[in-house]
Amino acid sequence: MSDSEDDDIPDLVPAENNRVPITIITGFLGSGKTTLLNYVLTEQHGKKIAVIMNEFGEGDSIEKSMSIGQEGELFEEWLELRNGCLCCSVKDNGVKAIENLMTKKGKFDYVLLETTGLADPGPIASIFWLDEELCSDLFLDGIITVVDAKYCEQYLNQKKMDNTINEATRQIAMSDVIIINKIDLVTEEELNQLKSRIRNINSYATFLETAQSKTDLNNILDLNAYDGKGKNSLEDLFRMRGYSTDILHKIDEDVGTLTIECKGCMNKQLFDKAIQNILWDKNTKNSNGHVMEILRLKGLLSTSEDRRLVIQGVQELYDSFYTTSWEKPEDRINRIVFIGKNLERLILEDIIFKCVTDSPAS
Amino acid sequence: MAETTIAARVCETPGCDKAAKLQCPTCIKLMIQGSFFCSQECFKGFWTEHKKVHKKAKQDADINNDSYNPWPGFKYTGQLRGYPVSSKRSVPDHIARPDYAEHHEGVPLTERQMRGSTNIKILSEEEQEGLRVACKLGREVLDIAADTIDIGVTTEEIDRIVHEACIDRECYPSPLNYYCFPKSCCTSVNEVICHGIPDARPLENGDIVNVDITTFHGGFHGDLNETFFVGEVSDNAKKLVKTTHECLSQAIAEVKPGVRYRDIGNVIQKHAQANGFSVVRSYCGHGIHQLFHTAPSVPHYSKNKAIGVMKPGHSFTIEPMISEGTWRDEMWPDNWTAVTQDGRLSAQFEHTLLVTDTGVDVLTQRRENNGQPHFMDNM
Repeated sequence: MSDSEDDDIPDLVPAENNRVPITIITGFLGSGKTTLLNYVLTEQHGKKIAVIMNEFGEGDSIEKSMSIGQEGELFEEWLELRNGCLCCSVKDNGVKAIENLMTKKGKFDYVLLETTGLADPGPIASIFWLDEELCSDLFLDGIITVVDAKYCEQYLNQKKMDNTINEATRQIAMSDVIIINKIDLVTEEELNQLKSRIRNINSYATFLETAQSKTDLNNILDLNAYDGKGKNSLEDLFRMRGYSTDILHKIDEDVGTLTIECKGCMNKQLFDKAIQNILWDKNTKNSNGHVMEILRLKGLLSTSEDRRLVIQGVQELYDSFYTTSWEKPEDRINRIVFIGKNLERLILEDIIFKCVTDSPAS
Repeated sequence: MAETTIAARVCETPGCDKAAKLQCPTCIKLMIQGSFFCSQECFKGFWTEHKKVHKKAKQDADINNDSYNPWPGFKYTGQLRGYPVSSKRSVPDHIARPDYAEHHEGVPLTERQMRGSTNIKILSEEEQEGLRVACKLGREVLDIAADTIDIGVTTEEIDRIVHEACIDRECYPSPLNYYCFPKSCCTSVNEVICHGIPDARPLENGDIVNVDITTFHGGFHGDLNETFFVGEVSDNAKKLVKTTHECLSQAIAEVKPGVRYRDIGNVIQKHAQANGFSVVRSYCGHGIHQLFHTAPSVPHYSKNKAIGVMKPGHSFTIEPMISEGTWRDEMWPDNWTAVTQDGRLSAQFEHTLLVTDTGVDVLTQRRENNGQPHFMDNM
């Protein structure tokens, strides 16, 4: 191109919407995680999917301080499959490592990240739930946990020495989709018992029941669990699950789900403060004096704006953003879901209701 | 179904913060990353500047033919080149050092242990005093470095003087061997955003250079940096450096108990954009005390999800890196030197701060000339 050509301003072209969703897959050893991934990798689905296995979540390899900003590039090995999928293990763990992989191997339609069995999905989700301003090629789509129908309860019952929440419970609490696998190995009664146990921990995840981890890919891809654009909007979820009618005075010292609903106009500033106290200062206690520990938070708020305010949180990390307009005034209900430990309805309600400017519905 | 208010891409035109759904076709052809614009009109307005990116990309394609080239085939983003780096300096045994100083891979094990924790330490009175001393000594070292800056002086020479000034003050120069960083301070010239390694390049008339000092003394790190003019610099370089310093001052003015760390970036980005500049996003301010880098993370860009609210006794840095053109950064193959992707200038200022009951103490404040930065002495 000559310099004179360079002076002709070309017409802009539409930018590719090239952000690639990434889904984190957790699950204990033997739960069927690998079977699920093998199934994804070999099935004809017309998608270019990268399955990345690595030591994410291994104590030492978790995230590098942003201020150091090292470049990840250590691709251990990779295998390109006939259906366009790519299977590889990445030693380094930064977002950069996967971005670099895409630069080398071309864009994927989707990235599935397999974690080690004992991984806590919280910190891993934090790495990929990036600020929009960073304009990364990747965005966190959701967390999937595969559980073994036969052994899951056993894992859930395990007590940790330091009395912290065990890994199986964390994985279930933070999941957007839970795949109950190997259902052919348990009786219907056992399965129902497990389901209600899991439902007690996380009432909002989607359940899938499988025998050999075989499931429709549409059920596990494009969850949009973190951007408020999901297939199932929060409102649908609330409608599907119904308003939980758990006993007011019950204190759940185990990990459980608690939904708070109220009418009225939520004052965003007060609400932010309240949530920050709970998530960051960790000084909100139940009536037994135990600190409430939040693993996952979602909410839909009606503020002074015409649009819905969506709240998302994983452990200490949280964000809120406005989405679509409220159509009917009667739809304007504030709904907040807490998944965590030591939750107590009356105390949380008291905190949340105080952020509402009109009187809340009783 | 739902639309979100947050755009995945923002317009490249400095100062324009609109959603960008259009892309420059020439950049796509030349494989230049980014180049998103909100509208043809905005693109047109920025064209005279933007087309330089195309020109440069084509020039770069002709590959450099320098005599010293440590990374054959590497495409530099600007005029600056890598120069030979001399060997690591040693620190006398009697000077106490952080754990990574002796680690064969320079890994700060105590920092690693804290990773993943978002808990922000509240310093006791005694600890605050320790931090104050380290910061005061760091300031003295930076002032000495400032005096050495001149046309023809190599960044390696600045490093030598910094190193010796540290030792004179019973300080370990914190950057040395931190994740194997080879020198005792960072010197970032022109398009280098941060973490430039001091080398044999002599400073040239018209350069801007940032010197980043961290001193470890009495168990605490004190961290600060300033950008300096070398000889006579361009008006735009002056404006950039001045704006960057204002960004830091305005951000510091916000600091007091109860303020959220995530809100600091809004002030910085607003002021940078109002002056037609952009904020680097890959590097953040950080908690600092007995650990060099720890919680909180303090991003300098707006709309971030940083965790935490300021409380009396928190100590951290704010260190905005402001670029003349794009905010996007790239790294040299030395795995340290961060440069602007368009090769245009980037400036930075940094202070270590302590949150007090009512506001903030700037622990690395200059003691002379009303605390103003050195570049203002000659303006």
